[in-house]
Amino acid sequence: MVISPLRRKTLRDLRRLWAQVIAIALVLAAGVATLILGTGAYASLDETRARYYETYRFADVFADMTRAPGALIADIRAIDGVLAAEARIVKLGLLDMPGMVEPGTMLFVSLPDGGDGGLNRLHLRQGRLPDPQSLREVVVSEGFAAAHRLRPGTAFAVVMNGQRRDLLVTGIALSPEFIYALGPGEMMPDPRRFGIAWLPGASLAAAYDLEGAFSNVVLKLVPGASADRVIETLDRLTAPYGGVGATPRADQTSHAFLDAELKQLSAMVRVLPPIFLLVAAMLVNMTLSRLITLEREQIGLLKAVGYSARAVAQHYVEFVLAIAALGIAIGFVAGAWLGAGMAQLYAKFFSFPFLVFMRDPQTYAIATIITTAAAVGGALLAVRRVLALPPAVAMSPPAPTDYRSRLAGVWRRLSLPQTAVMTARHLLRWPLRTLSGILGVAMSVAILVASLWSFGSIDHMIDVTFFRGERQDAMVVFAGPEPARALYSARQLPGVLAAEPFRAVSARLSHRNLSRKLSIMGKPATPRLSRVLSPDLAPMAMPEAGLILSEALADALAVRPGDRVTVDFLEGNRRSLSLPVSGVSLGYVGLGAAMEISALNRAMGEGALISGVNLMLDDGAEADFYAAATTTPKTGFVAVMSLTLQRFKETLAENITIMITVYVGLASIIAVGVVYNFARIALSEQGRELASLRVLGFTRAEVSGILFSELAAVVLLAQPLGWLIGYGIALGMVTAFSSDLYRVPFVIGREVYATASLAVIAAALASALAIRGRINGLDLIEVLKTRE
Amino acid sequence: MAATAEITFRTKGLTKVYRTGAQDVHALRGVDFQATQGEFIVILGPSGSGKSTFLNIVGGLDTATAGEAWFQDHQLTALGEKGLTQYRRDHVGFVFQFYNLVPSLTARENVALVTEIARRPMQPDEALALVGLSDRRDHFPAQLSGGEQQRVAIARAIAKNPEVLLCDEPTGALDSATGIRVLEALTQVNQAIGATTLVITHNAAIREIADRVVRFADGRIVEETVNATRKAPAEVSW
Ligand SMILES: Nc1ncnc2c1ncn2[C@@H]1O[C@H](COP(=O)(O)OP(=O)(O)OP(=O)(O)O)[C@@H](O)[C@H]1O
Ligand SMILES: [Mg+2]
Repeated sequence: MVISPLRRKTLRDLRRLWAQVIAIALVLAAGVATLILGTGAYASLDETRARYYETYRFADVFADMTRAPGALIADIRAIDGVLAAEARIVKLGLLDMPGMVEPGTMLFVSLPDGGDGGLNRLHLRQGRLPDPQSLREVVVSEGFAAAHRLRPGTAFAVVMNGQRRDLLVTGIALSPEFIYALGPGEMMPDPRRFGIAWLPGASLAAAYDLEGAFSNVVLKLVPGASADRVIETLDRLTAPYGGVGATPRADQTSHAFLDAELKQLSAMVRVLPPIFLLVAAMLVNMTLSRLITLEREQIGLLKAVGYSARAVAQHYVEFVLAIAALGIAIGFVAGAWLGAGMAQLYAKFFSFPFLVFMRDPQTYAIATIITTAAAVGGALLAVRRVLALPPAVAMSPPAPTDYRSRLAGVWRRLSLPQTAVMTARHLLRWPLRTLSGILGVAMSVAILVASLWSFGSIDHMIDVTFFRGERQDAMVVFAGPEPARALYSARQLPGVLAAEPFRAVSARLSHRNLSRKLSIMGKPATPRLSRVLSPDLAPMAMPEAGLILSEALADALAVRPGDRVTVDFLEGNRRSLSLPVSGVSLGYVGLGAAMEISALNRAMGEGALISGVNLMLDDGAEADFYAAATTTPKTGFVAVMSLTLQRFKETLAENITIMITVYVGLASIIAVGVVYNFARIALSEQGRELASLRVLGFTRAEVSGILFSELAAVVLLAQPLGWLIGYGIALGMVTAFSSDLYRVPFVIGREVYATASLAVIAAALASALAIRGRINGLDLIEVLKTRE
Repeated sequence: MAATAEITFRTKGLTKVYRTGAQDVHALRGVDFQATQGEFIVILGPSGSGKSTFLNIVGGLDTATAGEAWFQDHQLTALGEKGLTQYRRDHVGFVFQFYNLVPSLTARENVALVTEIARRPMQPDEALALVGLSDRRDHFPAQLSGGEQQRVAIARAIAKNPEVLLCDEPTGALDSATGIRVLEALTQVNQAIGATTLVITHNAAIREIADRVVRFADGRIVEETVNATRKAPAEVSW
């Protein structure tokens, strides 16, 4: 095979400039990898979830009620648009595991009579389904079984409806309903303290006195049917039986959290790859512009001997294509590998029975096209100018770089050392390149600011939620409303220092055509433990008549203090009335509405009832308290703030190291790529001058200093710009992520900027050091022999 | 000791061998040489005879393979990279064929570049005045002619008040009239600051302006001539 001379030159150039080639290829690879990783992991999870839902018949509508007669299910099935409906009993119970001091909760879900035939089917991992006649046999969720080392055949104890019962595990299963298994009152799934048990309907009915009745219904809709319309009818049918309003799939806890996660993943796909591709295009442009300047005379010669402008352009495009190919190859491998790892991480965190890997060739094709376009675009911009020159002009050496008039005199007045003047003039001489360098480094700072801020913001959220707002140590939620005197028995529990009652009532709040379903919390006029905070973090007193809405809710309903909202209570006498909005409060998780407890009871038209108590505990007496609280028949479940917080922090800690490593890695690739290329180009331009200075008696350190101060100027100027861009990206992400589920407080501490800058400066230093060898190796005598 | 104090340079058996691949190139084959304080020496010789190699070694830009080179009481051949840098910085002024000015600095800034790091420099303006370029001091190299650039290079070389001034074909890229101006600048400076001056040239006519002429051939000094009288550069015919 004969390689044409131009192609041979391409290969030699690639080999000669290998370090720069690799630096650029890595930036491209990072763009490709994040694109593939993001879209791949997203597609895999999305598809996995879809198939899981499909195969296991995940329901479309979910509704809870107190007690509906069995015959009602026929009416529900008859609703227009309902394909299938399943009556279930779903109840909370308490765990009584040996050796587990802290309280835990178990959600009991009835299995359909004919075995596992209905909706939300189980995926059995081990064992078998319970015998429909058995009162003891259960299937438990996999995470819970793993946390407690339960296997088919193991027995364990629970408290159901105030009574202790021994259960026998016959199987271990997963359910599409609990992919994200969040316990009541928790912020993160904790399989140790929250499990799901499936058992025959008869067994559960017996325990909760629900023979011939049901407490929960799930529906599968006819494709294309309107969930809203079905829910309207369903709510009307269940209302007499204590129905608290049905939830469409979109608001089902597990589904909604998974959705939020997928949303974050797709945000990553939108933010990261464009940054890398932009930086890569700038690097290609920078490097090629320099190469072309050096080869200007050769280009003129090539054209003079008859090569077409196209052929010459093609030569340089080939050079860049080779870099792009390398970057794409690395990106493919890294993206596929990381994508598989990430999907596995997700599969572990969310309980999926299987994982569908999506290797969509289209993703790879798109990545290839976009990456190549970015690289070639950067190249063509660089080549265009030289190709436009007539050969005769191109062949004669370029006019010497003209430094005239640029801020003349300014330098003299500043009385800088001459080396600083050299640096400044050189940077200003190529303003576009200098700007590209600054922008490139700024992007790496921005990536870090935009990713690291969330940790500080989570700390802020923890501080606000647990140390200023929810200051109770524990919360006991009763199985149902209790008379106000239940507060006094709660106060008698061992280890309790203070107790504060609360009332939680399901209600639908509406304003104009906007409405939301949530729990209104009734609290004492001036709560001491579970406080509501204003946006400036001051505790708020409960108004005599009105409601305090969380910011998220106020936004969702488009109301301001002074407006009135319609409140339809979904419990008790199911009254409807209009209440004023008295204030707006801070709230990061879920939608919140609070009012004074007796005002709430009055509005409900009920006596003084409470749903539970918030407690302050004596340090060290927790174990006694847990034991007593979980054996009190009234107790529905117990939430312990320190455990919730601990779990939250543990979960974050598991991910935080990986995430920081990934982001610092990505940012470093940019920082190193930009600084290294910038330095190599500067050295190529100034190598001769620097060598001359060495001849004049400048030391190696002084000469390196000149180049380094140029790099330092670029890196330092990039910092504030990077902070600004990072701030903008973070702001965009906050807006994109905030949902009814949670909103993220937007706080970027100084330490975030500092960390981002330090990491990038460290990467820049590393690449500067890589250049130092080249500066030290400058050939002093060589420069004397040749004219540039 | 009075006699030795006057000797600026001394080399003994100075040898340089370039080992490039298969064949060794003997650039210097044992050069013995001395120069006294303030002497103006012209070095002649055919291309490839080792003139530049010699100048580079005594200027501290290159290292010898064997033999000794002394500057006053410093043994250059024993100095490391740091020592040689310090030597160049403190004692040597260089002028080269291709000027080697920094394009991003004006004439005066190019001179200031050196005076900033020198131990007992003159004012940049003073150095420029010595080469007759006071009025062009704020021009960038790209705005100066070749001869003017070379005179800036001379100003830069002498601004530190060097003990030695080493010039490798300073007029090589210039026409004769400009060359004369440059040589005038060199002789003037030689007299003004008393620096021992070594000038390599291919122009045999220039020998007449020197105190002494040294001829290289094949890596050795083959002839030394002392001029009884020095001509002024303007009297030399090219
Ligand atoms: N870096 C090098 N590697 C190999 N050989 C070299 C090197 N530098 C110089 N030489 C060789 O050493 C010999 C002396 O070179 P030098 O440059 O000293 O000659 P010169 O007398 O200055 O010649 P000219 O008048 O052409 O400048 C030459 O044969 C040259 O080829
Ligand atoms: Mg020479």
